[in-house]
Amino acid sequence: MPKKNKDDLDFDYKYGFSMPDTSVFQTKRGISPEVVFQISKIKNEPDWMTKKRLKAYEVFLEKNMPPWGADLSKIDFDDIVYFIRATDKQKTSWEDLPAEIKDTYDRIGVPEAEKKFLAGVSAQYESEVVYESVNKELTKQGVLFCDMDTAVAKYPEIVKEYFGTLIPARDNKFAALNTAVWSGGSFVYVPKGVHVKLPLQAYFRINAERFGQFERTLIIADEGSSVHYIEGCTAPIYTTDSLHSAVVEIFAKKNARVRYTTVQNWSNNVYNLVTKRASADENAIMEWIDCNIGSKVTMKYPSVYLKGEGARGEVLSIAYAGKGQHQDAGAKMFHFAPNTSSRIVSKSISKNGGRTSYRGLVQIQPHATNSSVYVSCDALLMDEESRSDTYPTMRIMENDVQVQHEATVEKLGEEKLFYLTSRGITKNDAEGILVNGFIEPVTREIPLEYSIELNRLMQLEMSGSVG
Amino acid sequence: MKFTYITEGKKGKHSVTQPGESIFFIHNYSGAVEISIKSPNAKVYIYGVYIGKKNDNFTLNTIQHHKVGESVSDLLIKGIFFDESKFHYEGLIRIDKKAQKSNAYQKNQNLVMSKDVFVDSRPYLEILANDVRCTHGSTTGQLDKEQLYFAKTRGLSEKVAQKMLLEGFVGDIFNKMEETGLDLSVIPNEVRNLSLLN
Repeated sequence: MPKKNKDDLDFDYKYGFSMPDTSVFQTKRGISPEVVFQISKIKNEPDWMTKKRLKAYEVFLEKNMPPWGADLSKIDFDDIVYFIRATDKQKTSWEDLPAEIKDTYDRIGVPEAEKKFLAGVSAQYESEVVYESVNKELTKQGVLFCDMDTAVAKYPEIVKEYFGTLIPARDNKFAALNTAVWSGGSFVYVPKGVHVKLPLQAYFRINAERFGQFERTLIIADEGSSVHYIEGCTAPIYTTDSLHSAVVEIFAKKNARVRYTTVQNWSNNVYNLVTKRASADENAIMEWIDCNIGSKVTMKYPSVYLKGEGARGEVLSIAYAGKGQHQDAGAKMFHFAPNTSSRIVSKSISKNGGRTSYRGLVQIQPHATNSSVYVSCDALLMDEESRSDTYPTMRIMENDVQVQHEATVEKLGEEKLFYLTSRGITKNDAEGILVNGFIEPVTREIPLEYSIELNRLMQLEMSGSVG
Repeated sequence: MKFTYITEGKKGKHSVTQPGESIFFIHNYSGAVEISIKSPNAKVYIYGVYIGKKNDNFTLNTIQHHKVGESVSDLLIKGIFFDESKFHYEGLIRIDKKAQKSNAYQKNQNLVMSKDVFVDSRPYLEILANDVRCTHGSTTGQLDKEQLYFAKTRGLSEKVAQKMLLEGFVGDIFNKMEETGLDLSVIPNEVRNLSLLN
């Protein structure tokens, strides 16, 4: 078998194209109170939100960069554009969007997916949501699905009650930054007892260079309701870096069930630093399905605060790190109430000098009796230049609990590879098959359309491996 | 076979420079235990027993640092914690880039006997070589209720049943050491016959 050149290994990132800049407004490069004020002003926000932003900006200045995790020293906060308005008005039909933007989403395949299997779609281009459509049935049932900017204007009471209560600006530097300059993101409210049968989807696209996208998402699932929310992310390849720093807050009320699926496929010049947290009340179920394939650096630890008795939290995650990538991802589970349970399953793959780190925290508070925790992290190392780390922490302050953690790090099984190749399958294909099998426990939880895409991506990432 | 007993006042930093088996035994020791493995074909066993009572507060950091490949390290730390005792454990397996064909295992199992106990367990892995196999596991919980129940149905009192299960839990470590051919008399009697009745 001819050996391929190592440099050929970077697979074809099919979303790496960029469109000409047709934006209608953007703030000047860098961040200052003026920029924060300007963003709030252009959105015609109420006073309380402007104040929240300016206060968060102060916190952002005060807070230090995290002393642990991935290398963030190259981020230059003064060299980023914090707000870009791509269109003058949000559209409800793809046809009404500017040709460049419509073409972008066509190439990503969002309108196609909408027709097939989604109940609602929101598409964010740069800072704001440019397209939105919701199934009429849902609107009749009282489900609210819109972008956060609209929610602040239309449903200020709900937003005020929940916004920043689970992830205050003080939480960390990037949560503070997001609170100061947030724009776009989704707002979802599902009324009592309503089951949203098909998923809602948000699609995030960065087109500009040296840009920061700061979407803000708030999902409230009222008692006994259920909803599945999916987000996808892509960006063009530039030689300069962009920043994506989202904040996602989810409230799963008594007996509610929320599933949040992420397929993160940013180009390899995006810093992806995201804070995601959910609270689960009595007997609620919160599931994060987190796939990190793209970006230069990702630091993301979706967490669940198990507040009500019998609540259940789950994180299923896949991380892939190729050349120049560091995926520092994981999960956090806080058990505050009795009979709560959590499960974390993490699968990571490092290749061509990539580095994956699992970082997790499980904390059991006193009185969270009869709680159980299961954590499993498996890592694959595809070659000798790659690296894998596992950094779990378990803090247990209650005795009536069961906490289990296990992790393995290894390479692809030589015998399995040998078996497949002896059946006439090329080594590359065999590696792809084995890697897809390795991540299967997570991919089977993802809607079919996405898992096919994910498998295909993995197959591509594996192809051309040095034999 | 080389045996090293690490307890209060003993040094925690050790190098393994010869092939063959070595055993490190840690008992109620607070501090860092760093084992650098610098020889191929070295087989390093690290066993630990912690019994926390009253206000005991143990902090243990272990490092299994594989600097040379084709070596094996296997760590097992078991702890039983009563009253208001605390245990902070951080264990790291580090496999250097050139330490290919290393196998490293790390396991921490804790039994929490009172609701006022605090356990913090951090089993870390940093793997820079690919042709390796590393696993770690950590469990923290109570005595198995079904095992206790079974013992009681055989006529044992709660106290005796508990003592028996606890002895089995740590006895496992002494059995493992004995299996590798160690003469257990190198470990003081009072450590081997831990008083596990509370």
